[in-house]
Amino acid sequence: MKKVLFVLFFSSIFIIDLCAQERYTLNGLVKDMASNETLNGVNLLFPDLNTGTTSNEYGFYSIRLPLGDHRMVVSYLGYKDLSLEISITRNTTRNFDLSEISEILDEIVISENTETLNIKSPEMSVNKLDISTIQKMPVIFGEVDVLKSLLLLPGVSNAGEGSSGFNVRGGAVDQNLILLDEATIYNSSHLFGLFSVFNPDAIKNLKLYKGGIPAKYGGRVSSVLEIYQKDGNSKKTEANGGIGLISSRLLVQGPIVKESGSYLIGGRSSYAHLFLKLTDNENSAFFYDLNTKLSYRINEKNSLLFSGYFGRDVFNINESFINIYGNSVFNLRWNHVLTEKIFTNLSLIYSDYYYGLTLDFVGFNWNSGIRNLNFKYDFNHYLNENISFDYGLQSTYYQFNPGEIEPNTPQSGINPRELTKKYALESAVYFSAEHNILPGFSAEYGVRYSGFLRLGQNELNLYPNDNPVNFNETFQIYEEAEPIGTRKLSRNKVERAFSNLEPRLSLAYSFNDNQSVKASYNRMSQYLHLITNTSSPTPLDVWAPSGKYIEPQLLDQVAVGYFQNFRDRRYSMEIESFYKVIQNRLDFIDGANLIANNSIEQVLLTGNARAYGLELLFRKSKGKLTGWLAYTLSKTEQQTPGRTSAETGIVNGNWYNTNYDKPHDVSITASYELNQKWQVSTNFAYQTGLPTTFPQGQYLFENLTVPVFSPRNSNRLPDYHRLDISATYIPKPSSSKYKSSWNFGIYNIYNRKNAVSLSFRKNQDTGFNEAVRLSLFGIIPSVTYNFKI
Amino acid sequence: MRKIAILILLSFTILMQACEDVIEIALKESEPRLVVTASIFLPKDNPEASQFIRLTTTAPYFSEDVPAASDAEVAIIDERGRKYDFQEFEPGFYKSDEFTPRFNEDYQLEILYKGELFTATESLVSSPSIEFVEQRDGAGFSGDNIELRAFYSDPEGVKNFYLFRFLHESLSIQIYDDEFTDGNLTFAYFSSSDVKKGDLVRIEIQGISRRFYEYMFILRSQTGSGGGGPFQTQPTTVRGNVVNQTNPENFAFGYFRLSETDTFNYTVQ
Repeated sequence: MKKVLFVLFFSSIFIIDLCAQERYTLNGLVKDMASNETLNGVNLLFPDLNTGTTSNEYGFYSIRLPLGDHRMVVSYLGYKDLSLEISITRNTTRNFDLSEISEILDEIVISENTETLNIKSPEMSVNKLDISTIQKMPVIFGEVDVLKSLLLLPGVSNAGEGSSGFNVRGGAVDQNLILLDEATIYNSSHLFGLFSVFNPDAIKNLKLYKGGIPAKYGGRVSSVLEIYQKDGNSKKTEANGGIGLISSRLLVQGPIVKESGSYLIGGRSSYAHLFLKLTDNENSAFFYDLNTKLSYRINEKNSLLFSGYFGRDVFNINESFINIYGNSVFNLRWNHVLTEKIFTNLSLIYSDYYYGLTLDFVGFNWNSGIRNLNFKYDFNHYLNENISFDYGLQSTYYQFNPGEIEPNTPQSGINPRELTKKYALESAVYFSAEHNILPGFSAEYGVRYSGFLRLGQNELNLYPNDNPVNFNETFQIYEEAEPIGTRKLSRNKVERAFSNLEPRLSLAYSFNDNQSVKASYNRMSQYLHLITNTSSPTPLDVWAPSGKYIEPQLLDQVAVGYFQNFRDRRYSMEIESFYKVIQNRLDFIDGANLIANNSIEQVLLTGNARAYGLELLFRKSKGKLTGWLAYTLSKTEQQTPGRTSAETGIVNGNWYNTNYDKPHDVSITASYELNQKWQVSTNFAYQTGLPTTFPQGQYLFENLTVPVFSPRNSNRLPDYHRLDISATYIPKPSSSKYKSSWNFGIYNIYNRKNAVSLSFRKNQDTGFNEAVRLSLFGIIPSVTYNFKI
Repeated sequence: MRKIAILILLSFTILMQACEDVIEIALKESEPRLVVTASIFLPKDNPEASQFIRLTTTAPYFSEDVPAASDAEVAIIDERGRKYDFQEFEPGFYKSDEFTPRFNEDYQLEILYKGELFTATESLVSSPSIEFVEQRDGAGFSGDNIELRAFYSDPEGVKNFYLFRFLHESLSIQIYDDEFTDGNLTFAYFSSSDVKKGDLVRIEIQGISRRFYEYMFILRSQTGSGGGGPFQTQPTTVRGNVVNQTNPENFAFGYFRLSETDTFNYTVQ
């Protein structure tokens, strides 16, 4: 039976190629009519031939077609369908320009989303959001936020309001690979998690892979969030922007060389600190970011793209606490059509995360960060109408700066000190195929071979038996081991090498055009670890590479799903279930000091994490009323057992809830178009309260009232829920020159005091212990003005 | 335009409403355990001072005070086997006028409480003196604090750990290591908006061991002064250095330590 399948499988690859003599390739680009912006994910269908393809990240498509005249439909939701007759007599290059529905003035505006379900493709566990959907949703302070919007989809959560990052299917924040124009972003939050670092105006589209992750991606074990910036309008200069309560945005784009070269420059800044200045307050807290892009299409086969991102958060509290941090990313890409069937993209990327801190009351300046230089060469190979390959190679050189400290004034008692810098090289080759094996049955299968070389460094601690953490049996606690010496190794030498084979497989079987089942398996490895032991990561947390004492994290995930479209694709339903296990998840010994720790291995223990759940998404994507209902039922746990039977491990080696475990997570999002001028939207979210730890007793030690805690994360905060509403008003919907809109919103309309934390402390006035609920955001009205010239 | 300005201001006042309120919550109660506060001090100016040890037990979290652990037999034994008994003079308070710690010697604490023997072993840790205090006005995040910097010289080439006590209206405890200040003239920092000109602030430095430093580090992170929120550290059971020899499962909280101390009384200018 196996043999039969095997033969069937390979014959399906080759037979089709044998009869390919009378076939020719049609390829080209799909672009937006008004701006020349390339469009990703456009369907190009040939109804009579029952075949089709989709454009890639750079708008390129390629398909093999038989000789003759064929009916063709080019469709992209939110855009007007293009129907045409195409005559194939030889290999042909043909570009398509689509016009946005809202640009067509006389027609009735029907809001549609690009998010309709792709029933037949093996792609699963993917959350896509169109930027126009995101812009309609009610958000806190009226600040459109791509990450916050993702939280309303199944399988995505975070550790509460005001916490940074996001958690995908029970993964930790540092397990998400966040790519902005293919460059890694290390910290996705501004103002400690209040806003995300992505300026919505500069974004073309985004896609979150929760499972079934293609072999192209690696280096993080939980998810891939892929965000592409706009290329810039190469037809005419335009500006758009917005004025909000917290920040304002301005984005200008236009041609450098008409039709082929364009620029885009966008900026965003918060200005709350200006108000503080008015009130004679010396403190300030603000953020800003800049997005730039230069695109140049050299000819039909070559184009160059340069993009950059620079963002910073700045806090200055009376000159005694100054904190600046942020990402910067620069990236040069070359798109090259190698043959009519092969599209290539070569990327050279520099990415940097900087953290700087001045504490005058301690007397030091501090900086830390991570830098990398990344080279990628990716190929899309459209072999025939049933098989396409993605293959490529990637290599990243890292420099980790765990911290440099220097005295900030001559009187400071601080000695200048540099924690040992670390270096590593991460490389991977991958090959993956998307294959229509039989009618209705398709697969995406591939493998990624990743390697990580931890390079030499100035000072590497050595320990007795290579064990940097001791267990003190008398006191039943873990202690740092004393180093017995250090080793110095050149940066050109390899300290330790890792490699992993990561198979990926997704299968889809469609019963008909509207119903399918899918399954996927993926193994992934992660060589970098964010060193953090707080409930949610802070900007100060440093990244540590795997090496002599730290093993890479390994994930195995399986997912199955059922997908259905109803009533002419107006409605869709997705049900998925997943199970995943992560090995070598780091945990920390009690009292571990992670800040400025030059030998972090002395406080680390290794454990496992697991998560499983059920996700349901019911969506209406056409008509005046659009929106979705999302429900996630899941469990997320972590376990750090003792290394020997004498050791206790963390929490006695038992499985315990992670900080972001939310068994029930429901969200409802709806948007209704009243008329051309008014549109109203609403969100409702309900989540089980986050895990926390309550005290079971107290004692007094040297004037400190110390709580006796129950086991870690064995209690829960009260359940979280809130309702938001918003309305968008377009004063002159038919104006073609100056377009503007007002967005009015109310966040948490019934002013629920959702607990971000419960802390237990002694009241300094009464001397009694009390439980204190901290709630961050009550009812918050907002107004934002957006414009486009 | 004016409307927008009003709205902006309105939202900011609302933003600041991020609020804390005290709520009622039912908590489980754990079994009571012995808590040992055995902090032996050797003041540089008064080496003959009486020594105190306090024994209490854990209490329900919302109870107003902690019960005394009375009727224990408490003693410190030096390397030569000499035993210094501590007598209970008030419920839970034990005292010795005989015991004066010496450097470079291990001491064993022995407590017999409810038929179980608790022990701990430690030695005396030395401390430098506080040399001078600098005052700066208009400091702190709000700009209306008075800050004091108590300077001391850290001995070079050895790892040192210190505990500072700033006593004004309330007691402020701080711990320092010399990881970044080894061998330097450096300072401990105290900042308060309650301090006024003419007030007396009593500043005390104590030499402490690395393990006690780590113990206090965890203890302080657990006491809620961190305020909770997303950046709080993981709550945990903090084990000290007192071991139950009779029944190891029924361990005691608290610590036995011996510290040299120096005090500096500073009058705010």
